[in-house]
Amino acid sequence: MNIAVCVKQVPSSNEVRMDPVTKTMIRDGKQAVMNPYDRFAVELALQMKDRLGGRIVVFSMGIPAASRILKEALSCGADEAVLLSDRAFAGADTLATSYALHLGIRKVEERCSRFDVILCGRMAIDGDTAQIGPELAEHLGVVPITDVAELLEAETDRLVCVRTADGERQEVAATYPVLLTVHKDINQPRLPHIEGVLWAETAPLQVWSAQEVGADLSRCGLTGSPTQVVRTQVPEREQACQMWQGGAAELASRLHGLLKGEE
Amino acid sequence: MDERLAEVLRDESRNTGFADSVSFPTNEQEVLSVVAECRAHGWPITVQGARTGLAAAAVPYGGHVLNCAKMNRVLGCRVDSRGRFVLTCQPGVILSEFKKAIEKKSFDVSGWSKESLLAFEQFRKAERQFFAPDPTEASATIGGMAACNASGARTFAYGSMRAHVSRVRMVLSTGQMVDVQRGQYVANGRELRLSCLPQGELTVTLPSYTMPNTKNAAGYFVQDNMDAVDLLVGSDGTLGVMTEIDCVLMAHPAFIWGVSCFFPSESVAVEFVIAVRGKVAGLVALESFDGDALQLLREQRRQGGAFSRLPAVPKDYGYCVYAELHGASEDQMLESLRVLGELVQQVGGDPRQTWVARNENDLGLLQFFRHAVPESTNLLIDRRKQVCPVITKLGTDMSVPDACLKEVVGLYRRGLAEEGLQSASWGHIGNNHIHVNLLPRDADEVARGKALYLRWAKAVVDMGGAVAAEHGIGKTKVAMLLAMYGEQHIAEMRALKRTFDPLNLLGRGNLFQAEGGETV
Repeated sequence: MNIAVCVKQVPSSNEVRMDPVTKTMIRDGKQAVMNPYDRFAVELALQMKDRLGGRIVVFSMGIPAASRILKEALSCGADEAVLLSDRAFAGADTLATSYALHLGIRKVEERCSRFDVILCGRMAIDGDTAQIGPELAEHLGVVPITDVAELLEAETDRLVCVRTADGERQEVAATYPVLLTVHKDINQPRLPHIEGVLWAETAPLQVWSAQEVGADLSRCGLTGSPTQVVRTQVPEREQACQMWQGGAAELASRLHGLLKGEE
Repeated sequence: MDERLAEVLRDESRNTGFADSVSFPTNEQEVLSVVAECRAHGWPITVQGARTGLAAAAVPYGGHVLNCAKMNRVLGCRVDSRGRFVLTCQPGVILSEFKKAIEKKSFDVSGWSKESLLAFEQFRKAERQFFAPDPTEASATIGGMAACNASGARTFAYGSMRAHVSRVRMVLSTGQMVDVQRGQYVANGRELRLSCLPQGELTVTLPSYTMPNTKNAAGYFVQDNMDAVDLLVGSDGTLGVMTEIDCVLMAHPAFIWGVSCFFPSESVAVEFVIAVRGKVAGLVALESFDGDALQLLREQRRQGGAFSRLPAVPKDYGYCVYAELHGASEDQMLESLRVLGELVQQVGGDPRQTWVARNENDLGLLQFFRHAVPESTNLLIDRRKQVCPVITKLGTDMSVPDACLKEVVGLYRRGLAEEGLQSASWGHIGNNHIHVNLLPRDADEVARGKALYLRWAKAVVDMGGAVAAEHGIGKTKVAMLLAMYGEQHIAEMRALKRTFDPLNLLGRGNLFQAEGGETV
């Protein structure tokens, strides 16, 4: 079983800084973590490998500091990692990012066999687009199953999973190759052990440039991104507290009115 | 007293007392007024913070409750002679909010002096800062922490609250005040002279006992040639009402990693603790959870709810030691981790049976794991209490010198086996300070548990240990302090108290039985 997992480095808090010119997020690697959804994808890969054997390669596109999250995946049990890092990739939207990731995956497939399963988190918490998975599937020409909440069966030639979206639950069976985007809480991501952390420091981690993966520069980075960010703003939040006094029936009635929008 | 204020009659020790009146002063002037009123009427005063204490020091038994919760401002900032930032806190500042404000470098500076504002500007430009004391209960107040000399996991490396306080300002029951800066008043042998405000002087004869060479929060801190700040910190609300506490900050470690190491048995874990002390750079905490505590967590996790977020603990993991590492570079952290792994292996553990947390989210998960243990036992006791109201958790708080760790673990295991009592143990094993929590199933087990605890206390004193390592003596461990120091030394403590509080108004029943008064 060959499994590819795509992961992204995201800020660990909501206090992010934006580039005033490009309107994109400044990613300096400080206080950065692996996108929480991607951790579930890594864990799912590890569980499939535990059950069926095989090999896990983790991919990311980002600044050199993003190697930290790849080492994190390696420390948990992934076998190999690839970082696509090049100034040409900077400012990429989801289309340009998925293009770069697919080139990385293809390059690994050239020297090894094809990936049976490609896993992504459902979305990244910094962009919330949930587009990378489906776009990557399109680039790779594989079937995408999005919003996977449960893996019911995984065999050497097929899997059965449950996808949930808009409150609906759908059981889906697929043969390989297949791409899954996973929900949070599909599993409980493991923490690495000491040996894993130390091994990850010397584990195979390759950094490839746009040229090394044979990228068409017109499809990379800001140039290759049809998404144009016109304006970004921090949503305003209003909080107000009212103190009510009175008997239980009176207060319950008043609350009922408030909930109905009468107050 | 108004029934809505009934909560001031109890604290986390789950004891409930009684009182005639309560006040919530907001500043020092109001404290002086309240104390003057109490003095005029001869009312005893019980000082409170957030009432998170576990030894009932804040539980009143008559008289007036002076609750400091509304004295919750940070009053100023300065840079000390060693270049460290120092923040002046009112006693009601809540630890979690204090830490948050330090992290955000954001304080309400209204009313701050020009010097404070200048120092604060420096603080804002400085590297990330850190207040080291970390008791498990982050809703504790700075005043409460100073009163009981609180500590936490990181006390292993950074010391208890006392080490992080550089000044205490205190209203005495006489209406005088003391304002004590570290280095300003140093005892001559066992005699300490303090100037009072607005005038007067106290000549304090310090008790003659020698404190155990362990983590200790039992009784007054006394040493030859000691600093007066060290006496006031840990005085359990018996000497005065703290109105200002200067808290010293340190540079935030660049890296904080947590490692939970699992072992097949307690004896292997103890060997690991003995092996690891002093061998790993940047080791700031060594905490333990025994097999019973891990089993409680497994059961809680199975029941779901908030506990389902707990990481699954495999069945064959018999004991956990949590190690926290702080460091300046990733290379240094990796080297410490490597040594830690070697030591795990050396004592017969498996470096693959460990959990390493290297970011805030994962550290938060391990913290949740650690906090879930006492919470699980509280839930268990609450369920049993519904059937048998006299049931209560009996949690020990004793420490022994490094050389006695194996001996004390053996003592606890033998006692539990002989009495057939259920328990769950966790705590600060790096400081040989394990909280053995007896979990009685009926009234008979409560009684036998209390007797066992007292026997252990005597044995711990014989080992050169302390009967209260971090929770203080308060009112619940008065008998143990007596067992630790004896009548003569308790009398010396009483005499010390009388120097500060001649009318014996403050903290009656804390540390020792009130003269002619009540016990808990």
